[in-house]
Amino acid sequence: MVQINLPKNSKVQKGEYYKDKTGSKNIRKVNIYRWDPSSGKNPRIDTYEVDMDNCPSKVLDLLNKIKNEIDPSIAYRRSCAHGVCGSCAMNMDGKNGLACTKPHSEIKGDINIYPLPHLKVEKDLIGDLSTLYKQYHSVEPWLKNSKKDDGKENLQSIADRAKLDGLYECIMCACCSTSCPSYWWNGDKYLGPAVLLQAYRWIIDSRDEERKERLEKVADELKLYRCHTIMNCTNACPKGLNPAKAIASIKKMLATT
Amino acid sequence: MDNNKPLSPHIQIYSWNISSLISISHRITGVINIVVLTIICFWIASFLFGNSIYVIVQNILNSFFGKFLVIGITWSFSFQILSEIRHLFWDLGYGFELKTSNISGAIVIFGSFIMTVLIYILGRQLI
Repeated sequence: MVQINLPKNSKVQKGEYYKDKTGSKNIRKVNIYRWDPSSGKNPRIDTYEVDMDNCPSKVLDLLNKIKNEIDPSIAYRRSCAHGVCGSCAMNMDGKNGLACTKPHSEIKGDINIYPLPHLKVEKDLIGDLSTLYKQYHSVEPWLKNSKKDDGKENLQSIADRAKLDGLYECIMCACCSTSCPSYWWNGDKYLGPAVLLQAYRWIIDSRDEERKERLEKVADELKLYRCHTIMNCTNACPKGLNPAKAIASIKKMLATT
Repeated sequence: MDNNKPLSPHIQIYSWNISSLISISHRITGVINIVVLTIICFWIASFLFGNSIYVIVQNILNSFFGKFLVIGITWSFSFQILSEIRHLFWDLGYGFELKTSNISGAIVIFGSFIMTVLIYILGRQLI
């Protein structure tokens, strides 16, 4: 169901203002979405003045600086800091991306940081992705092959292997799925770009023997065809992949076989 | 406890890009076109009752508001047709690269205005 407004308990309020204490002249304002599960209050936007002269280039560095020097209570996920793990996916300047690969110099004006859109918030910038993981599990993302283990490699031609390029690189950061309006309104039923890209990754794998079953499983009015080619997913992907194209490829395979 | 968790902001904060803007416009113009087509059908059916209704509608359409309405509807049809052609290419599997989709999106937006002007001028000459 299309719901434009946020529920009552999710309305964002004005939060605290942390004034700069370093006396720096190069200051930027950073607005961060905060919600503390123990407070029982609505989420709020806290504003931090940050000394940019002593801050490395990425948004994650900025968050680390705030956590280390200004407000240690702020919560966010991060791990590798090199765009490989997908932990620090969040909404920066209205676009989803990885905080560790997004330079803050690309953002004009105040830096607005929110959790990934339309998720249940666990705390501050941490969203609950369990629905997405359940959906990922539902496409059975593993190789299905009846070949007995004879100690030899499962070979694949160079052309067949090339079909996996642009798919296997996906790190499941959920930037695409949470950027998709269709996934916002139908996230419980529609699989979303991330999971469909993964589904396609196994459908197109020449070594997999259950292509037909996989296609039949995903061919569903809600699971697949809620994609209306809005293309927010491809615009959001921090790895430069193309979930919209992968979804279209599934639709095309279903139409032609 | 679970119901207590707030929903993170979505459409309120997410920035627009060409493709999402066209997607929502495609839907809106689609609804408008269906309503307009239905009205046109009733209008044509009303000719069966003589020329009284025809004259009234003619007067409305020739007023400033009527002309605005006609041009608006022409744009709505133009936009829908061009955007639908874009969708046809997508269904064939072409034009998914970000650059291509942005260019085709720009063509849809600018093309819809050019097409409106062309249809309007052509229509004026036919009448």
